[in-house]
Amino acid sequence: MDRWKTYVRQQPRNYSMVVMFTALSPNVNCPICRPAYDEFLIVANSHRYTSSDSDRKAVYFALVDYEDSPQIFQQMNLNTAPILYHFGAKLGAKKKPQQMDFQRQGFDADAIARFIADQTEVHIRVLRPPNYTAPVVIVLLLGLVLGLLYMKRNSLDFLFNRSSWGFLCLGITFIFMSGQMWNHIRGPPFLMTNPNTRETSFIHGSTQYQLVAETYLVAILYGLITFGFILINEAADGSHDKKKKSALFAPNATALAIAGLAIVVVVFSFLLSIFRSKYRGYPYSFLFS
Amino acid sequence: MKESVGLGKNSQLGLTTLLTFAILALAWFVGFASRLFAIVRFESIIHEFDPWFNYRATHHMVQNGFYNFLNWFDERAWYPLGRIVGGTVYPGLMVTSGLIHWILDGLNFHVHIREICVFLAPTFSGLTAIATYFLTKELWSPGAGLFAACFIAITPGYTSRSVAGSYDNEGIAIFALQFTYFLWVKSLKTGSVTWAALCALSYFYMVSAWGGYVFIINLIPLHALALIIMGRYSSRLFVSYTTFYCLATILSMQIPFVGFQPVRTSEHMPAFGIFGLLQIVAAMHYARTRITRQQFLTLFVGGLTVVGGLAVVVYFALVWGGYVAPFSGRFYSLWDTGYAKIHIPIIASVSEHQPTTWVSFFFDLHITAAVFPVGLWYCIKKVNDERVFIILYAVSAVYFAGVMVRLMLTLTPAVCVLSGIAFSYTYEKYLKDDEKVPGSTGSTKSGEPRTYDKPGKSKPSSSESDDQVSVNVKTFVSVLLLIFLLMFVVHATYVTSNAYSHPSVVLQTASGNGDRLIMDDFREAYHWLRENTADEARVMSWWDYGYQIAGMANRTTLVDNNTWNNSHIALVGKAMSSNESAAYEIMRALDVDYILVIFGGVIGYSGDDINKFLWMVRIAQGEHPKDIREENYFTESGEYSVGAQASEIMLNCLMYKMSYYRFAETRVGYNQPAGFDRTRGYVIGKKDVTLDYIEEAYTTENWLVRIYKLKDLPNRPQIKPADLTVPFRGKRVAKGKNKKGILLQNESVKGKKAEAV
Repeated sequence: MDRWKTYVRQQPRNYSMVVMFTALSPNVNCPICRPAYDEFLIVANSHRYTSSDSDRKAVYFALVDYEDSPQIFQQMNLNTAPILYHFGAKLGAKKKPQQMDFQRQGFDADAIARFIADQTEVHIRVLRPPNYTAPVVIVLLLGLVLGLLYMKRNSLDFLFNRSSWGFLCLGITFIFMSGQMWNHIRGPPFLMTNPNTRETSFIHGSTQYQLVAETYLVAILYGLITFGFILINEAADGSHDKKKKSALFAPNATALAIAGLAIVVVVFSFLLSIFRSKYRGYPYSFLFS
Repeated sequence: MKESVGLGKNSQLGLTTLLTFAILALAWFVGFASRLFAIVRFESIIHEFDPWFNYRATHHMVQNGFYNFLNWFDERAWYPLGRIVGGTVYPGLMVTSGLIHWILDGLNFHVHIREICVFLAPTFSGLTAIATYFLTKELWSPGAGLFAACFIAITPGYTSRSVAGSYDNEGIAIFALQFTYFLWVKSLKTGSVTWAALCALSYFYMVSAWGGYVFIINLIPLHALALIIMGRYSSRLFVSYTTFYCLATILSMQIPFVGFQPVRTSEHMPAFGIFGLLQIVAAMHYARTRITRQQFLTLFVGGLTVVGGLAVVVYFALVWGGYVAPFSGRFYSLWDTGYAKIHIPIIASVSEHQPTTWVSFFFDLHITAAVFPVGLWYCIKKVNDERVFIILYAVSAVYFAGVMVRLMLTLTPAVCVLSGIAFSYTYEKYLKDDEKVPGSTGSTKSGEPRTYDKPGKSKPSSSESDDQVSVNVKTFVSVLLLIFLLMFVVHATYVTSNAYSHPSVVLQTASGNGDRLIMDDFREAYHWLRENTADEARVMSWWDYGYQIAGMANRTTLVDNNTWNNSHIALVGKAMSSNESAAYEIMRALDVDYILVIFGGVIGYSGDDINKFLWMVRIAQGEHPKDIREENYFTESGEYSVGAQASEIMLNCLMYKMSYYRFAETRVGYNQPAGFDRTRGYVIGKKDVTLDYIEEAYTTENWLVRIYKLKDLPNRPQIKPADLTVPFRGKRVAKGKNKKGILLQNESVKGKKAEAV
């Protein structure tokens, strides 16, 4: 409390204070306090190590925890956390300081640095401690794959197995054709629940948007059509070489062809009807409306 | 629909040739005809934005000759910077249409160059179909080639960029792309220098036509690399790749815009690396038979590691030393999908650079999207040297198409080829007569379509029907697949007609009773500019309309669709988003005479400047973070709105004022309140908009385009003779507005003096 009065609220000062009000102790239920605090710490540390001397003397960072000093919270009339305030150098003892809007700007280090730059003209270059997880995971995976290859060096047949490569390529195709890249970039919700009717919808009704569930569905449908089409061809192929037919899997070629055809026709009609439900005014359909 | 049918063995060759010709000619004709919707509905007119620049450049070339075109410095764009057009443009498109124009002129067919420009893309779609036929023929069989040719002639994914009037690089580039691929596959198959040299020539044409040539120069090395890794190295590969690479690199450097990029940018380095690798591999093959195994291992395993390490070190040294440019931002944005949004907002702001939803995949490809994985599957199952190529092409293109809507164009040919293969593979089995099967299995000559439609053939022995598909089912399958193909045709026509045939220069709406209403506001406004403004007048607008103003109004613009100078665009964005007086200073500094805004609030046109406004703010903020802040333009609750809750800064910015000046005096509907904006769907925030520094010059019929004139600086306060007796003091201070004028003028006077000294 004393330090609060001395460093933050006393006049005259020739520096600004950036104060985060937070509640880090575990008995206060505040899930976003911890990440916000981490980001705040990154900015403060970057400021400490990278800013020039004059800049460093112009801005100081401080932290107020509810656990330690609830009276400051009372004095500032706060009942939420975390909150970031900027106390400018000229700010009088009773004036309201500038608050950073976490709702709109987010609380990652870059946003905080931008807020400080806006307020104080001190530009902080955010230095994030490098995140080693991704490279480590990649190296581990690579090591695992190489190790497996080394262990199985006597039977590398699976590398020359065309089916596995085929599945890999088809997998990539279905992933991208069903718009997973869009999901990755835009991050849509998995499902959507209409607030009025409480109806859960898997399919978004516009062409410009898609839900995650719907893309999975589309990928499966594409996969089924391809499967059916291959089945049709395999049925005809089966008549060529009888050696390929195993004892377990020897249904009638005709039945196989019909099954494949049925899959293709039904699934494609279904896909078309989903497309119709998204693309208003599309006039054509097949089997299903 | 398109299955080739031979009638007898004797005349089969002749018939096959005839049918091939007939089908390809039909594909050309259908492809051409289905792209004419826009012409039939509107008129023979250039579409969109970029085509207007291409048209203008072509016109310039035809008027002034090729060499003058290469040296053309366009002082009417990017005022006051200007633009070196000859050095910053892919000239293939202009040269192609110029050549056609010249030939027709020589034959005494005098056609205006505009007609050639309008019809160029549909014509080339036929050539693309033929190139696709040849490519697929090399990859699989002629039957598959015919299917692929028919698919690409009408597939919406390609039609979208090649309707009549869409005079853009992609129209001819896809042909060049397919033809280069065909020649590459051909040269790889034959190992002949001639084909490889032809491939390089075709690549040269591609480089001259489109920036997408980088895709080729990375895909072909990737193919070579894959072949080496798969142990499919052959001297044919060596001959074709080395010939191709050397010639292609030298040829591509002849294009002024490309220049030394093939040896100085990272995008081209993989091709060079593979070239080096291929030499080592060739040496390895040569040496293998001549030295012992032990020597061989030490020589090459050790040598390869050293050379490989050295190559990487040298590469990074060159990049670090600045001799080789690192990968460009556009390249990064393909891999790191968040890159563009943070670093290059101007790229992110373009709608065709957005990621692709599954709907647009289906919309553009329909049944072929679902079937082409089948072709991919069989290409992998029956892999050979050239099929590796189409596999790599399909997989990489589907990735790129997922990242950017625009790159759907490169995926479409691969999809057409592969679904052609899938359909032909199926039909080859299901249209074939059963009796033929046991005998002809050995003769897998892929050269002939072995399909017969003689109904009188004897039925197959029914005892074997257990492992053969019965005839009825075969017919059934064929018919149903035919229905799918018909659905594809119908879909393609529907999409072409409804989605891709809008010139966007002329708008079309339906009135209440179903009549077609044509709104020609853009051309009205540009014509007004052309007729009523001074020849050297400078028009400021957002960059989207730069090419159109230059092309149709023939007036100087500040920024245009060739977005090469971000800070200049940001300055225009800043002027649009500042308040009137600040904007006035910027506009005076840029010598602006007229300002043009697109406003859709009266008719409900959603692509207007108010909807694009946030991008202007964002781009301006990128360069002038002190003056422009994005959050200032939002409402209290963080929404973008021009309604009652809009922020004060938003309501006072130049863009708002110009869009809504005198808007409240009109009524858009009978029972709508004044100031109701149809596009946004609410009443605007501030209705009494007054303008101090600019004045309304022209507003088109439907208010779509509004043109404002910048007022001159106010005169010095005039002192009437009667007032001369009034004491001097206080007069200058009294008039707030004039005070500023005096100050400004003093400054400009000072500037002139400085110049004189």
